[in-house]
Amino acid sequence: MGKDGTHARSAPELRVQLGPLSLKNPVLTASGTFGYGQEFSDFLDLARLGAVVVKGISLEPRPGNPPPRVTETPAGMLNAIGLENVGVERFLAEKLPSLRRRNATVIVNILGNSEQEYAALAERLEDAEGIAALEVNISCPNVKEGGIAFGTDPKTAARVTEAVRQKTHRPLIVKLSPNVTDIGLIARAVEAAGADIISCINTVSGMAVDVFSRRPKLANVLGGLSGPAIKPVALRCVYQVVHAVSCPVIGIGGIQTALDALEFLLVGASAVQVGTANLVRPTAAVEVLDGLERFLRHQGLASVQEYIGTLDTTCRLPQAEEACAGDG
Amino acid sequence: MPKTQEKARLLETRRVAEDTHRIALYAPRITATARPGQFVMVRITSEGTDPLLNRPFSFHRIHKDDGLFEILFRVVGRGTWLLSQRKEGETLEVIGPLGNFFTLPPAHEETVALVAGGIGIAPMEEWGHRLAQWARGDEARRVYLFYGARTASEVVPTRRLERKGVTTFISTDDGTLGRCGTALDLLDQTCRDLSIRPQRLYSCGPLAMQAAVATWARQQNLPAVMSLESVMACGIGACLGCALPAVPPDDSSRIHYVHVCKEGPVFDSRKILWEKMEPMPVRPLSFVCS
Repeated sequence: MGKDGTHARSAPELRVQLGPLSLKNPVLTASGTFGYGQEFSDFLDLARLGAVVVKGISLEPRPGNPPPRVTETPAGMLNAIGLENVGVERFLAEKLPSLRRRNATVIVNILGNSEQEYAALAERLEDAEGIAALEVNISCPNVKEGGIAFGTDPKTAARVTEAVRQKTHRPLIVKLSPNVTDIGLIARAVEAAGADIISCINTVSGMAVDVFSRRPKLANVLGGLSGPAIKPVALRCVYQVVHAVSCPVIGIGGIQTALDALEFLLVGASAVQVGTANLVRPTAAVEVLDGLERFLRHQGLASVQEYIGTLDTTCRLPQAEEACAGDG
Repeated sequence: MPKTQEKARLLETRRVAEDTHRIALYAPRITATARPGQFVMVRITSEGTDPLLNRPFSFHRIHKDDGLFEILFRVVGRGTWLLSQRKEGETLEVIGPLGNFFTLPPAHEETVALVAGGIGIAPMEEWGHRLAQWARGDEARRVYLFYGARTASEVVPTRRLERKGVTTFISTDDGTLGRCGTALDLLDQTCRDLSIRPQRLYSCGPLAMQAAVATWARQQNLPAVMSLESVMACGIGACLGCALPAVPPDDSSRIHYVHVCKEGPVFDSRKILWEKMEPMPVRPLSFVCS
């Protein structure tokens, strides 16, 4: 069986186990690009997704940043939404029940201005039914407090992780920023502090300006870059984190197609999140899922697990070993 | 009303004024539930990821029986330029119908005015068409269109509306066609000269014009219903990118935003905080495609 076009007899197993978190397949939607799920229910069956990661939730509702909040860039977009969200109480009263009615596997992305707020959020969510895991956002580049302030320093990243860990028995994902010198260092710190899973990357800090009006294109001046433009950066970060920690990793960044998703699985991510692609094609995540299954059949693989982390980085040409080793 | 993603066939593309194009898209599922004031997100390219994002366009004309609708747009950047280059027979991914829609005036109102600035004429054609039908239901009802453009070559023909009974007035900033001045100058002067007393305005155009129309309506104590625009990524309420500053529901002073794609694009002008709006940068056309 294999590349000559033969197919596996039965449907390939898509289920993945990420530490304590078991998912029916490895295709998730990224926080901030999929609303609270209901925005997409006209377009796809939410129950098919590995999980829906909801728009980041804070203790109190947040209005977000002034407009303009988004601008297009080559093969990507910059955003500075500013974590606009309905707050945890409305999330629990309105959004979560709607997701549960649609049989979605729900991962709640949480954010706060202080360790205490993160902990209080985890505590408030602990008794709610129908939450598969928490994803701690310590990596949003668009707000002054919270978010990235915690994610760029291993000590504060660890403290937030620990504060949430003490309040939740749920699988705990920590979402990392690429806007750091050594992402492996942050990854090791949050793993040691109790993270079960690491997801990366959040957006890449960026900027766009208008030469005619001499104004920044975003009211916030700086924004977070997402979309295909950041995929190589994301892939590099996932690769580094996979080698830095022993916990499972979820790859995020510029995934548009199943082949993009496979790149992340190949370098060792156990699952992926589809983000900006949802904004362009609301059906993007299920298209990635369908394409993934097709690929596994084509390759004659019985399960997605067989493919994860199988990147071969050995040097193929013995006489060029020195060149390989010295590359970069 | 369910939103649909549909592969639309481009049936016709036509340049109707300077840098202004109208294209007809065969998309029966979207057309079936489309209402005036709503919009679609159009994928510019079928290949590649640049430009990445879809572009929002309001329904310019809806032809229910034929399963097709038309959009009208000005070339203002690379995305709209590429769209203007698409050929008849090609397919485009379209998502819609999106957002809220215009609603008919309450029973006691008889005279309404459409105000359009520049490409703001786009949603007014279909809505004017519906209002003309509304006016035929009662002899006392009148529908006016006040349409301002920069210059004569940019004026999109309005014959179809006039034939339906919409009394149309035109102005240009440089006076090359109709009255010299803005759409608001035109509205204000014509209402004075001809003693027209609109009881409601429906307005679409650039932000500065919309803000001025909102102020005028407030002075006249008239409701103004506005179709607003914003830079937009998803069009379906997911990214929250198309926020506009608005009066909070509780009328407090706290910061509040509405989203053009979700609570709009049609708004009561009194709900928008015009003084907190950032104007959209305008790029000189000669630089659009270089």
